[in-house]
Amino acid sequence: MASHEQQKAATASTLGFVTVVEDAEDGLFGGYLVLNLAGRPVEFHCTAPIRPNRAQEILYGPTLQPYLFGEQIGRTLIEKATARPLVVCTDHASMLAVRDVIDLPVALVLGDQNKTESDLSGTINSSGRQWRIDAAHGPEAQQPHFELGRNRLAVSPSAATDRQTILDRLGPVAGSFDLAEPFGRIREAIDEARRGGR
Amino acid sequence: MKPVFQAIDPSEGLSWRASGPPEVSSFDVCPAPPTVHSASAEELLYLPVDTACPLELASPRPVVVKVPLGGTCRPRVRSFSFLNLDGTGIASGTHGPTSCATVSASVELGGNSGTGIASGTLVTTSTRIRPPEDVIKLEDRLNYVLQPSLEVLLTERALRFPHQPFAFQYQGVAFLYPRQAAILADEMGLGKTMQSITAIRLLVHRAEVRRALLVCPKPLVTNWQREFALWAPELPVTAIEGNQAKRAWQWELPDVPVKIANYELLHRDRALLDRDHPALDFDLVVLDESQRIKNRHSATSQAVRSLRSRRRWALTGTPVENSTEDLVGIFEFLAPGFLSPDMRPRRMGRTVADHVLRRTKEQVLVDLPPKLFRDAELSLSPEQADAYQLAEGEGVVRLNQLGQELSIQHVFELVLRLKQICNFDPATQASAKLERLEADLEEVADSGRKAIVFSQWVQTLEQLRDRLGRFRPLEYHGRVPTARRDAVLAQFRDDPSCHVLLISYGAGSVGLNLQFASYVFLFDRWWNPAVEDQAINRVHRIGSSGPVTVTRFLMLDTIEERIARILEEKRELFDTIFSDTASQRKLSLTQDEIFSLFDLKSPPESAKAA
Repeated sequence: MASHEQQKAATASTLGFVTVVEDAEDGLFGGYLVLNLAGRPVEFHCTAPIRPNRAQEILYGPTLQPYLFGEQIGRTLIEKATARPLVVCTDHASMLAVRDVIDLPVALVLGDQNKTESDLSGTINSSGRQWRIDAAHGPEAQQPHFELGRNRLAVSPSAATDRQTILDRLGPVAGSFDLAEPFGRIREAIDEARRGGR
Repeated sequence: MKPVFQAIDPSEGLSWRASGPPEVSSFDVCPAPPTVHSASAEELLYLPVDTACPLELASPRPVVVKVPLGGTCRPRVRSFSFLNLDGTGIASGTHGPTSCATVSASVELGGNSGTGIASGTLVTTSTRIRPPEDVIKLEDRLNYVLQPSLEVLLTERALRFPHQPFAFQYQGVAFLYPRQAAILADEMGLGKTMQSITAIRLLVHRAEVRRALLVCPKPLVTNWQREFALWAPELPVTAIEGNQAKRAWQWELPDVPVKIANYELLHRDRALLDRDHPALDFDLVVLDESQRIKNRHSATSQAVRSLRSRRRWALTGTPVENSTEDLVGIFEFLAPGFLSPDMRPRRMGRTVADHVLRRTKEQVLVDLPPKLFRDAELSLSPEQADAYQLAEGEGVVRLNQLGQELSIQHVFELVLRLKQICNFDPATQASAKLERLEADLEEVADSGRKAIVFSQWVQTLEQLRDRLGRFRPLEYHGRVPTARRDAVLAQFRDDPSCHVLLISYGAGSVGLNLQFASYVFLFDRWWNPAVEDQAINRVHRIGSSGPVTVTRFLMLDTIEERIARILEEKRELFDTIFSDTASQRKLSLTQDEIFSLFDLKSPPESAKAA
């Protein structure tokens, strides 16, 4: 994984934003937007919808969502991109699992719009089926957050050193960058892509 | 040039990459640096909001206070104030130009020094530019939705404003910016000028527009020049004027991003404009007061439609004045064939929905002072009543006698004659309206306020001028030379002894900012309510300091009362097209209706809208 990332041209002046949009009928759509430090889009990728099969539901149990978000969606999107950002940001706690499979610091952006594990705990409906998400297993559940400019962030417990890396890399731009804003763009873009234009 | 996004491998999802840097516009004229009072660098004070800060100056003077902020959203400070902790020298503050990271407020200190608290409510707006419905390709739509907010786009180009726009004005800019064909139909006074200038400004700075032409009524050319200087000071603007040789030279100027021309001149210069010259291939043509082209068979409409342009916008507070034909006429310029005259109003409303943005003050300006209507329903004076009955009786008899030769012009002549008698008795100059107006103006003058009086006749205005001398009335109408009109408005604004401006609908119903007045009198009624609304909104607009009282004079049991009924029905037509909730009513003031004012039967061959 790391070697694949290293093959890519370094794009030091970009930030990555990855999120997941849930649709009751179609399943989960992933979206990944790379912005330059002025907030302008450099790359955008989104996935076709995915939904777990019965075997995955049984095998992954409470870790199903981190698996879907992190390994299935996040990893696929980030590897697809050409740009190698300074930091990858997400607004889904379960997406922090992607940190285990990519060689980039990953920040969970906390805020009003943030999807915490408890928001998603319970059920995800897909074609009438339900599968269980166990909030207690969320990787961010006990993760302390930290402030960066006007942003409230957290990192994966399995990559605690990311915190200092993020502070170093985003410190100069934190005052002028609302890290929660780009997720709205991704959701709109996914919505457009689902409709396939007009 | 916009970034290009390419679709990659759609079977496994979709990918887009930006390619190619945007082009950068450059201008020959350097923008003047912004004025920040006379404060030296040391006097620029950076105060955190809600934090006590010492403030010491050698002498009382204006200083600029900056409140540091973070974030990509453009902030706005409302009710900014600086209070000395000892309770003295309370400073006044207003919000000023803002940038991404700071909010500036001009603060005039009451004393030399003090320790105070800068406080204010920070309001941030984040306005997304969404793709219009007619943008079909997915990559093009994504190119819009993936961009940052309008506020960020403006900030990154260092495009600042003299006043912080309202959120709905940002939305108006975001509406215009991506559209090839658009009508900004906001009610008068909501800042269509500022919104369109800002959209043009952004398009020019992003090199999406290199040559824009703004067309407006002749009296508004200088107003547009002023507004461009205010809202886009860095943009070179040329008003097309002078003799034909000069105009020919101006039309062909290659490096002027914005040219302004009036409608009449466009018609006169049609041969010049038809030439094959790159400077005459416009990227954008904007029509101000676009109801001027509602008649698509008029020479003005044909001249405007012959312009070569990729984008076409129309600005009007009254896209429908009389009938749906008006809207069809405007769309013949915006997108020929898009509408057809036989569409039903409701369907027409749905068809144009994505191309028309219409907001009313009630919808967006919750803080705007109220507009109060009073219908002054009066009875004719005995002299007027005698003259009226005689004129109407004789007039109707004469119309009946015309038989097959009866035309709408004959009826109009009688209507106008009767309306004039409603204003003044031609023999004695008696006027019930004037008596009431004088009484009301006494109150206006005593309270130190100002009033506008509208009439459709210059003669009536001159009669009023002669009879209202003690209020020092000023005049603004067709007989006042264009060169003197700005001075008249300035005197009305600045001279506290001038309480009344007598103004004609023709000269003063569009483009003027008279928000320092508090009263509007409609001495007689115009033929359609949209023009009346425009007239009223000269006063009731952004900047109005208090409630605006509108008095509509109406003589009972006269032609005015009958016309008022029809006007109300026309107002409902507008609602039918631009509101889903309004019920469908009478469509327009038809010839039949005009004839029915006198219980006359319309000639069978025509039933056109008047």
